[in-house]
Amino acid sequence: MAQRFVTIWLYQLVTDWLTIRRPDLQHQPFVLTAPDRGRMVITAASTTAQAQGICAGMVLADARAIMPALQVFNDRPGLEEELLRALAKWCIRYTPFAAIDPPAGLILDASGCAHLWGGEGPYLEAIITRLQAFGYQVRAAMAGTIGAAWAVSRFGGRHCIINSGKEQEALLPLPPAALRLEPGIVERLQKLGLGRVSSFIAMPRSALRRRFGQELLLRLDQALGREEETIQPLEPVLPFQERLPCLEPILTATGIEIALKRLLEALCHRLRQEGKGLRSAVLKAFRVDGQVAQITIGTNSASHNVDHLFRLFGHKIATIEPALGIELFLLEAPKVEALSTQQETLWTGGCGLESARLSELMDRLANRLGPDCIHRYLPQEHYWPERSVRPAAALHEKHAAAWRSDVLRPVRLLPVPERITVAAPIPDYPPMLFRYRNQVHQVRRADGPERIEREWWLEAGPHRDYYVVEDEAGRRYWIFRSGHYDGSQPHWFLHGFFA
Amino acid sequence: MSYTELQVTTNFSFLRGASHPEELVAQAQALGYREIAITDRNTFAGLVRGHTAARKAGMRIIPGCRLDLLDGPSLLAYPTDQAAYARLSNLLTTGNLRAEKGQCHLYKEDVYKYARGMKLIVIPPPALTPAFDLEPAFAGELKAYREALGTELYLAASRYYQGYDAKRLHRLACLSARLDIPLVATNDVHYHDPARRELQDVLTCIREKCTIHNAGFRLHANAERYLKPAGEMLRLFRQYPDAIRRTQEIAAACRFSLDMLQYVYPEEITSQGRSPQEELAALTWEGARRQFGDVIPEKTRAAIRYELAFIEQMNYAAYFLTVHDIVRFAREQNILCQGRGSAANSTVCYCLGITSVNPEKFDLLFERFLSSARNEPPDIDVDFEHERREEVIQYIYNKYGRDRAAIVATVTQQHHKGATRDVGKAMGLSADMINLLSSAIWRSEEGFDEKRIIEQGLNPHDPHLKKTLQLTEQFLGFPRQLGQHTGGFVITQGKLSDLCPILNARMEDRTCIEWNKDDIDALGFLKIDVLALGMLTCIRKAFDLAKAHHGKDLTLANIPQDDPAVYEMVSRADTIGVFQIESRAQQAMLPRLRPKCFYDLVIEVAIVRPGPIQGDMVHPYLRRRNNLEPVEYPSPELEKILHRTLGVPLFQEQAMKIAIVAAGFTPAEADELRRSMATFKARGMVAQFERKLISGMMANGYSEDFAHRIFKQLEGFGSYGFPESHAVSFALLVYVSSWLKCYYPDVFAAALLNSQPMGFYQPAQLVGDARKHGVEVRPVDVNHSLWDNRLEEGTGRLCALRLGFRQVKGLQEEDMQVLVAARASGYTGIQALRDAGVPHTALEKLADADAFRSLGLDRRQALWEVSALHDRPVALFAGQPSETATEKGIALPEMTASEHVVQDYAATSLSLRAHPVSFIREKLSLLHIVPASHLETLHDGTPVKVAGLVLMRQKPGTASGICFITIEDETGCANLVVFGKLFEQYRKDILQSRLLMVEGQLQREGEVIHVIVKRCHNLSGLLRQLTAPGMGKPPAGAVEVVQQEIFARSRNFR
Repeated sequence: MAQRFVTIWLYQLVTDWLTIRRPDLQHQPFVLTAPDRGRMVITAASTTAQAQGICAGMVLADARAIMPALQVFNDRPGLEEELLRALAKWCIRYTPFAAIDPPAGLILDASGCAHLWGGEGPYLEAIITRLQAFGYQVRAAMAGTIGAAWAVSRFGGRHCIINSGKEQEALLPLPPAALRLEPGIVERLQKLGLGRVSSFIAMPRSALRRRFGQELLLRLDQALGREEETIQPLEPVLPFQERLPCLEPILTATGIEIALKRLLEALCHRLRQEGKGLRSAVLKAFRVDGQVAQITIGTNSASHNVDHLFRLFGHKIATIEPALGIELFLLEAPKVEALSTQQETLWTGGCGLESARLSELMDRLANRLGPDCIHRYLPQEHYWPERSVRPAAALHEKHAAAWRSDVLRPVRLLPVPERITVAAPIPDYPPMLFRYRNQVHQVRRADGPERIEREWWLEAGPHRDYYVVEDEAGRRYWIFRSGHYDGSQPHWFLHGFFA
Repeated sequence: MSYTELQVTTNFSFLRGASHPEELVAQAQALGYREIAITDRNTFAGLVRGHTAARKAGMRIIPGCRLDLLDGPSLLAYPTDQAAYARLSNLLTTGNLRAEKGQCHLYKEDVYKYARGMKLIVIPPPALTPAFDLEPAFAGELKAYREALGTELYLAASRYYQGYDAKRLHRLACLSARLDIPLVATNDVHYHDPARRELQDVLTCIREKCTIHNAGFRLHANAERYLKPAGEMLRLFRQYPDAIRRTQEIAAACRFSLDMLQYVYPEEITSQGRSPQEELAALTWEGARRQFGDVIPEKTRAAIRYELAFIEQMNYAAYFLTVHDIVRFAREQNILCQGRGSAANSTVCYCLGITSVNPEKFDLLFERFLSSARNEPPDIDVDFEHERREEVIQYIYNKYGRDRAAIVATVTQQHHKGATRDVGKAMGLSADMINLLSSAIWRSEEGFDEKRIIEQGLNPHDPHLKKTLQLTEQFLGFPRQLGQHTGGFVITQGKLSDLCPILNARMEDRTCIEWNKDDIDALGFLKIDVLALGMLTCIRKAFDLAKAHHGKDLTLANIPQDDPAVYEMVSRADTIGVFQIESRAQQAMLPRLRPKCFYDLVIEVAIVRPGPIQGDMVHPYLRRRNNLEPVEYPSPELEKILHRTLGVPLFQEQAMKIAIVAAGFTPAEADELRRSMATFKARGMVAQFERKLISGMMANGYSEDFAHRIFKQLEGFGSYGFPESHAVSFALLVYVSSWLKCYYPDVFAAALLNSQPMGFYQPAQLVGDARKHGVEVRPVDVNHSLWDNRLEEGTGRLCALRLGFRQVKGLQEEDMQVLVAARASGYTGIQALRDAGVPHTALEKLADADAFRSLGLDRRQALWEVSALHDRPVALFAGQPSETATEKGIALPEMTASEHVVQDYAATSLSLRAHPVSFIREKLSLLHIVPASHLETLHDGTPVKVAGLVLMRQKPGTASGICFITIEDETGCANLVVFGKLFEQYRKDILQSRLLMVEGQLQREGEVIHVIVKRCHNLSGLLRQLTAPGMGKPPAGAVEVVQQEIFARSRNFR
């Protein structure tokens, strides 16, 4: 069967994508930029901006000089390829073999596909219409070789279909750039006045090879089908999901357990093979009466340990009401993280944060008591006490800063300082006694003051003078005076307890 | 008991200190301090500024320095006497010269070596260990210091309010007692006022390259590092009164002041044991006889005697001799030079050969120099050829040694853009936001105004933005780094490093000092400016060519003077390439002014400047000159000052003298006024001076309007000052270059092209202009060209100009030297060039430039052959004819003339064949577009259409929003004027066009013709068709065949 290829050129890929997401940008001049050697360089310009003479490769400052009203968005590396990948994936409905062709291109191996759409014309038309309906500006062509289709889609007329064997004819009037050549070669051909493929295609091959190297001949041969060219088709990603249909409706907890175990084993096997672990899992039970019951678990760290996961589900199984029976189980892992398979150690042990047993224990506690019962705090680089710690988001989160060791900080820090009344000599001596919750504490020992100013970029307000004080019973407190000692009665607060 | 602050960090510890030395001094004065120390990190850069401020405030600065060592705790060092100061300065010099610019590498050993006579304070680590003790290593270090430095050593005790201050002080006291090192109280001052903490935090962020949000513990926890009142310090150290007492002990011991520094001139400038004055006199009379012949005119003799007496009185002989020595060296090396400045235009300097301007014509020029009541050093700048100035600089270094000669520093200050950028970044603003702020809002010099902020769509009341702008304003004018002055040299008799630390400059083989020119002025050091001037290079090259090809031995001094033909040419504004008067604005002025004598050129140089333009002095002068307005003077005393400029002040000296004579300023005040205008920092001062000047002048009976104009002009002079003394020296170069252009356009064009980049015009215009003056220009050719443009035997009086390889883009000089060296009797084939070792890429560029014509190949054939050169017979087959000779059946398309022209431009930015516009003239005529030369025949007010390549666009700050454009077609240039509103409307077309077509109205003013633009069109598309006629447009959306920027981007404003 003759090979047929479709190449698609989304010549405004990134800007179209942005316009789809932000319809207000339609007909607005805008650009995407990325830093390049210390300057901001335009990586893509909207159609409207291009009409004003702004194009990719310009320095942003120059473009701004031309058009002060230009809107600017940040480009990020890999964005284009991401978009292309998504579109290629979508194109799998037209052919099993779709590949990306950066910049801004897609290649579909359409051999034997077109008849399903009633011929090549409707086939190409369908692809183009659908992509345009999304909001992408598209040029596409179909031919017997990738090279010819590429050339025609970029440089030919609109939406061409080149019959196999007619490639050379189609190429003749096109400029040499249509052959996917290095810019240097294209430039040299232009300088020599060889501005069309027709002007050099008939030259002796050795004369061409000597001047332009093998590449020109290779590209020419690829376009004419004399040389094989392959594409790297995209592989579709399968979701982490396992199904278990039941012959008889399941009614018992034991039955559910067996089903769960089987599903977990299958899922974990796959996870292990792909070097992944799950962070959350959902078990869905489809009942005979059409209802769906489901239970969910989450873990503190990625896991593919069947026993552990089973135990997490364990006590929730009771919440599934089988009613008239369950005919299908579905286990999904919506959140998956990379997890290297741990080497079996001879002596399992250790009790650090890395220990799997700790995290499994915490999973069990959290699943039973609710996620809010376990807290872990990490230090933050802030002098202001309220901001000096924050709750950790994950068990394995490392703290960026070390805990401060140069100053004393209380073991318990009140989230909101509590007012106290004091008797303190001025200017900045520690108080002699203070009253907290109607109880008077005589200060026996004290250290300070430690003066901490507001973080002026976040808030305005008076600074605090902190003191560490010990009362007659040997209890130690962290108290502070808000504001400077001069002026009217300053307010005092208690902010924490030392061990 | 009183207290002296001994640890003060100014903003000369870059990105650490958050207050100017002046601010700290002012605050100290307000708090009643009699003296404070300045201790910046490994630098003396802020000392002089603090010292000057303190001198004014009746205080004393204790000069000092914080020594940050690579292998030990930091030390504060204070010299007790001048010898110790010299040692400290030498210590810093040692550290500076070891390291790259901006760093100073010091070790303990260095300190031990230089420490004699200094008081030293060790700075202990700020934090305690978890066991509430000092780091154990510190005690060891301290002990070592004590053993090496003895009883001059102290230990700093500071209270940072860290919560463990008491513990820390106790530990330090114990250590102090154990090692017998007395404690001394300091407050580690970083700013003069606690409110500056915010700026200090931002500086920390800039230094650490982080934002305020993630700076964390790199910031200080509180604002305690401000200059505290003595009483508060006594309270904080009430348990350690001795520590306070020691500050007095140290302050009393350190009696050294910067005023004690004595500047001494180098000695080796005299010969035969004469004193500098005798030597100067002898050289001057000798020179006078050389210049004037044996019979020196009586007037000149009197002038010399007068000037010599004055120089003797002011003791400046050594200065003149030093300049003379440098100039003499340049002469010997055949480096062209020319002095300028007030003292340079003296008879003595003329006799010494420092300047070639004959002072006989200007009896008044020495006056400013003479009348300077203050002990201001004389001012001589010497310009040298820019390509050879380095030789002069190295001569100075070699003659006096690097320890005695160095370049003055330039303190780079924070300007709007940089300050906004840095502060914005530190405040975590997005790049877009920063761009908005820096480009749009700071456009005016006065600062940000709310209207502009709102225009940009920002909320001026947003607290974060407000804070950013506020901090930016504080940050403005902060010193950011020490650069090197463009050429100011300080040379001393003794070691220069005894006076000031020396450091490496960014450029190789350059060393500079840490002080800038204001600093050395304040201390009475003298500097000599060794500057670079491109036009001198050009003139020297022209002199060389004139000698080689026309047998003329020319010098700056022997060019025939006052030649009417030259003035005639200048009056026609035929001045492309001429020094200073080639710009569009100058060309517009020339036909109105019609210079007739040398002094007219002086005025011409000075008049087209922001000062006179802003002060609205130009039109009154022109009217008076053309007898349209009577010449009158506001008062007889001003007649003396203004009579040479017809009653209109045009020069900086005149404006200042008016301030003195008419408004009652003292000369010192007038000078201060000019300086305060130059630095935007002292905004408040300017307003104060304005009041004083205007009220002073009105009190003396001048009109308010006149007073305002004088002030306006002073304002303009402030930033772009142009004194008469400089204008005179420049005018000489104007005359010389005009003379060359007038009589030897061939020589002039070759010299100009060989000195590029320089001046306003592209090579295409320079070549075009030369051809217009009858010079035959020949194309680049592998068998005839050299790297430089050269002159060849011509047909008439003038030589022919052969373009050199330097005109071809992308060629390397070394490659072309290889080509020229192997040329012998000429190349006959491309293969021979390749065999000679010319690289392949170079051959390709030569083919692009069509340089193989003498081999019978056009550029296309040449490129065809060059591309095949890779593949040539080797080894066994070497020497066989290559395959190219036997290839058949290949016919390259012929190039059209227009294609050739486009390729000419692509390769060499110019074409000798035709002007690109000539190929589309037919099309343009259909659109009723007239050639530029046709404009002359039209009447004022005629509506016209013209089109041409855009040569330059200018938007001078002095012409509110007006854009001047010059376009060129095959017949000549046309000058366009676009008014502000239209510019905004056609901004895109104006900025993007290579080929611009405008519709407008002709405006004629004497010989000056402008087109007042009404509409603009971008016709660049027509140019594209030159390359590929009949190719048609590529399909919509298709990749346009990449067209390089073939037509040189025009000079542009930003």
